[in-house]
Amino acid sequence: MVVSMRQAGIILKLWKASIMQALEYRASFAFSILANFLDFVFGFLQYLVFFTAAQSIAGWSSQHMLVLYGVFMTVFALQFIFLYPNLVAMGEMVNSGSLDLLLTKPVNAQLILSLRRVSFEELGSLGTAIALLAWLAWNGTIQMTAGNLLLFGLGMTSSLMLVYSLFLFLMSLAVLLERLDDAAQIMWSMFALCRYPADVYPSRLRFLFFTFLPVAYLSSVPAMALLGTASPGLVFQGTIIALMAVIATTMFWRRTIRAYTSAGG
Amino acid sequence: MKNLTANLATLAAHFKIILTYRGLMLIQAVRLLLLPMVLASAWLSIEKTAENPYSDADYLLYYLMVPVILNLTDSRLVFRFPLSVRDGSLSRELLKPYPPLAGYVLESVANNLIQLLYLLPFTLIMGFLIRDRLVLGHLTLPLLGCAAAAVLLGGLLRMLVSGSISLTGFWLEDVTTLNLILNGGIWALFGGMIIPVATFPEHIRQIAELLPYRYMLSFPIEILTGRLNSGQIAQGLVTTIIWAGCFALIARQVWKRGLKVYSAYGG
Repeated sequence: MVVSMRQAGIILKLWKASIMQALEYRASFAFSILANFLDFVFGFLQYLVFFTAAQSIAGWSSQHMLVLYGVFMTVFALQFIFLYPNLVAMGEMVNSGSLDLLLTKPVNAQLILSLRRVSFEELGSLGTAIALLAWLAWNGTIQMTAGNLLLFGLGMTSSLMLVYSLFLFLMSLAVLLERLDDAAQIMWSMFALCRYPADVYPSRLRFLFFTFLPVAYLSSVPAMALLGTASPGLVFQGTIIALMAVIATTMFWRRTIRAYTSAGG
Repeated sequence: MKNLTANLATLAAHFKIILTYRGLMLIQAVRLLLLPMVLASAWLSIEKTAENPYSDADYLLYYLMVPVILNLTDSRLVFRFPLSVRDGSLSRELLKPYPPLAGYVLESVANNLIQLLYLLPFTLIMGFLIRDRLVLGHLTLPLLGCAAAAVLLGGLLRMLVSGSISLTGFWLEDVTTLNLILNGGIWALFGGMIIPVATFPEHIRQIAELLPYRYMLSFPIEILTGRLNSGQIAQGLVTTIIWAGCFALIARQVWKRGLKVYSAYGG
């Protein structure tokens, strides 16, 4: 417990340093938040224009799709704030050798490498996504029952665990391949799979997305929970898969670090 | 002639560098192929409105072509050039008896060309597998020639837009934000990535036809789908040239002013 409090303390100090660094260029920071807000708006407009050519998509109406977009952007913004800057930094650390330095420190390397940087530029998107979900709850599209909210909470936890698993897998790949400048691109490409409901895919792909490549649990299932169309069994299945993914990628990370002989070695 | 030899040597060097890090090509493949496939699935599962002019065959051909065209008109200048300003490596380029931006442009071109190694076979195999659902009878040599011209001009336009944005790296610490505003979601919306421009409602389509984004992706594919007549193709090509000219002027001005303030602070 003492050790974990110490790690938490270190992470908080690193976050403070990240924020101070961002606030050093205040105008740039404010501009970034505005840019991400605008990006959210363009994404929102895409859905609106989409529904000028389509009445529904795999049974999802435009209102249902907005719930999916709100959930999708919430998950995306959270990964952007907490994980993305660390993934971008990883390739650089392997190349420059600063990873070696960190691995020799008496800290939990996985934890520190996963969370040492934060980027609040996506706060604009996160705030707007939450506001969109709140509006959809107010207009009755979202079914605000205790059961649905509980399933949504569980679904979001699973979603974030799955995102972390993918992140950790890519961090391990960055160490293995010694150069992974565009690792974040893979992350973003995986998010592309979640922009639309899992129901749009052919049945075999859908099976894959609910089992071995569980992207359906990233946004579709939490959105279904809010809409009251997700069964508890489906949400629990997502939680079990997410737990297994975190365990598997943590083992892969540990094995990678054990085999790591420095980028030049 | 001297520059041509130097350009070819630079291009060859970039090919070798890219092939050294082959793993990165896999990432590029995921980036280029995944979203178009997702979008094709999405569009095939919609219940269309009465106004939507696209059939399933149109959507299939459209998203089959998106990865190749997206790659050919892609530009990585916005990621590479600002870095060289920050770390000071631009200073080296300025001292060489060779156009200082040529290396960055050729790196981007080499990257685009090398992705064709898997993109072309992928497109041909996928096209063969879904041949019964594609309508290709309208494809003629002149139409293919127009599409090729649109791709070249679209690539040039995207390069100039990205170049103009990346040159603001002389003043801005991080140009990705500006890129996100001018070349991100707005490009995805008006460029035809998410929704083919031809299926937009009339008033939005008119806006899209005036903006430069359509000509970087959607326009060459619209030519290939055979839905544009010769007048519309000519109009599109002229619009692309006008936009390319505007951004060439902007890039030139930004470059001139930027060089005056550049002090190689990282070098």
